[in-house]
Amino acid sequence: MTSLFGSLTHFQALTFFALVVSITFAFLSKRGTSERVKYVLLALLAFLLVAIGIGWLMYPFSQ
Amino acid sequence: MDEAIQKQVGAGNLATGIFAAIAGWIVPGLGHLLLRRWGKAAAYFLCISGLACAGLVMRGGVFAAGAQDLFDRLGFFADLGTGGFYLLAHWIQTAGPDVAHATGDYGTRMFATAGMLNLLTVLEAYEIGRGRRT
Repeated sequence: MTSLFGSLTHFQALTFFALVVSITFAFLSKRGTSERVKYVLLALLAFLLVAIGIGWLMYPFSQ
Repeated sequence: MDEAIQKQVGAGNLATGIFAAIAGWIVPGLGHLLLRRWGKAAAYFLCISGLACAGLVMRGGVFAAGAQDLFDRLGFFADLGTGGFYLLAHWIQTAGPDVAHATGDYGTRMFATAGMLNLLTVLEAYEIGRGRRT
């Protein structure tokens, strides 16, 4: 486990975090498998899009 | 609300709610397991334990009690939400924290998030135990 998580890229860490949080929120707030799957996919996509969007917005300030 | 759900909702009591909440705080998902919510128990255990262990393995910081800084105190309460994982943190994280690198910083956030998510599941276990939620 140390070698797996110790060498994650930023994007891999973000994706893992987003997936786990999305699944937990889906089970907390939705009933039924299809509703939960839909919620996980939408939340995961939103997490990734927002993170990549903020990354692009912050890029000029890193120079 | 149909009759079966109504019957299930009214079945709980305070003691069951508190017992499920404490069990769920110590081990993520255990409260739901005791309340026979198998799917939720498995999902919460895998997700929250995975996030907490990943945070520790990535050498994230674990906030100690009695911190002077307000953010550290908030971090302590968030970390405390992981229950058993907070107590076992030093055993799991043998190399100690390393927040000077991005990976360690991510680990700190992941461990705190696991605590916050577990607190949400604890509240849900309490509500199910009380019979206010199915």
